[in-house]
Amino acid sequence: MIQIIQRMFKTAWQGMKRNSWLSIACIVMMTLSLLIFSSILIFNHAANTLVNTLKEKMDITIYFKTDVPEEDILKIRDELLSDEAIAKINYVSKEDALKAFEERSKYNPTIQKALDELGENPLAASLNIKAKKTEDYNTIIESVKNSVFKDKLITVDLAENQKVVSRVDALAKAVKIGSLFAISVLACLSFIIGFNTIRMAIYSLKEEVEIMKLVGASNWFVRGPFLLEGALQGFISSISTTVIFSLLLLVFGGKIENFVPGLGLNVYFWSHFWFIFFLQTAFGIFLGIISSFWALNHYLKI
Amino acid sequence: MSLIYFKNVSKSYNDSLILDNVTFTVETGEFVSLVGRSGVGKTTLLKMLIREELPTKGKIYFNDKEINKLKLQEISLLRRKIGVVFQDFKLLSNKTAFENVAFAMEVAGYSEEDIKKDVPEVLKLVNLQNKADNFPYQLSAGEKQRTVIARALIQRPELILADEPTGNLDPINSWDIIKLLVKINELGTAVMLASHDKEIVNTLGKRVISLEDGKIIRDEQEGRYLI
Repeated sequence: MIQIIQRMFKTAWQGMKRNSWLSIACIVMMTLSLLIFSSILIFNHAANTLVNTLKEKMDITIYFKTDVPEEDILKIRDELLSDEAIAKINYVSKEDALKAFEERSKYNPTIQKALDELGENPLAASLNIKAKKTEDYNTIIESVKNSVFKDKLITVDLAENQKVVSRVDALAKAVKIGSLFAISVLACLSFIIGFNTIRMAIYSLKEEVEIMKLVGASNWFVRGPFLLEGALQGFISSISTTVIFSLLLLVFGGKIENFVPGLGLNVYFWSHFWFIFFLQTAFGIFLGIISSFWALNHYLKI
Repeated sequence: MSLIYFKNVSKSYNDSLILDNVTFTVETGEFVSLVGRSGVGKTTLLKMLIREELPTKGKIYFNDKEINKLKLQEISLLRRKIGVVFQDFKLLSNKTAFENVAFAMEVAGYSEEDIKKDVPEVLKLVNLQNKADNFPYQLSAGEKQRTVIARALIQRPELILADEPTGNLDPINSWDIIKLLVKINELGTAVMLASHDKEIVNTLGKRVISLEDGKIIRDEQEGRYLI
């Protein structure tokens, strides 16, 4: 058994070396397939990151009237925190609000002059509420609108947040469905590219296979080295895909990050390196073996 | 028990009758020439012996085993007992002469030690010991054919089928090949030679089966190829 396996590996490796141009063509096409496959993985992550970033930026801010004492606001905060839908609440006092406003507008002399003329702090204290799920924002807004302390509020930013919540939810769903569709289509496409290349390679070796059978080789004796060759090509393609991807990210990763901050492609790729490499390799080997098996079965009746 | 027994064998392709009710036997160690013009069914007859074709009617036996009824695995085993020499050589283009011959042993499960011992001996027998590392494209037609004979011989088959082995060779190389086949036959292996080379067949002075219109018209022990 060991002898048979050793022979299969030796024949597969010999076949790849001696039909080097054919092997290179197969590896190049499979690398292309795997690049598409890996891009899908990265794209999926990027899409999810974008959506999550948008979701994180969402919040509800409730502004209190200027005469509401701080301890009342803090009590309201503690009451709201008991709602399971709320993740966290940040209290911004009038003084903190003014400091932040002055910092943001320090290069705007008109606003600085207006504040000086006013003499007092015109800004209101607020509670900044983040929900655990975006779908809960509307419910939270409704409950605040109907709460016992509604008379102490100036505004809750109802209209805009509702629109943003709906849009972000719709976008998240569209991204999920779109990603799934893109993944399916591109995965099929990449499979077909690799499959056809290997199929043609094996068809070109039709005569060799017929000779082997005439000399008395059993079907598995003929099949084995071809399947191994397919698997080896898949493995080598996976390595070349990983090298190409790493280089692309090294060169363009920073630029993409500048363009779309928070995308974290580099971080994602390197932190999930082995996972991506494993999936790629598995896909490549699977593609190599299935393509070889089908071609041998279909064209050469093995 | 005859080595080969063709019993009322007919073969048609669509409506075209190639072989018509052919019956004959071949004994162990016999040398038989199959003659007839091109297209008369010589190659078809040989292909049926290695189960590359199935007869339309009739039965074919090799060592008392009916070839028609062999299972897939048994076909591989049959082909290891029958060495075949083709007109177009049929060598594996990405293997050297040594590897082509060794392939026949690998297929049968021989160990590396046996292969390293036997293959050089057989290559010496066909005078190719200095060409062992050459690929087929680096060999002449005569050398290719001798490699094929070496591959056919290596498993010590009971029968060698030679289908127009000299078809692509010059006269000198042709005779070298025929002499090799005769030498192999003298060592005990049966040989069936399909040929339309009148001179070779008549010089051999062996049994000749003549085919015409799909039928055996003559079967003589010291036969001649008569046109």
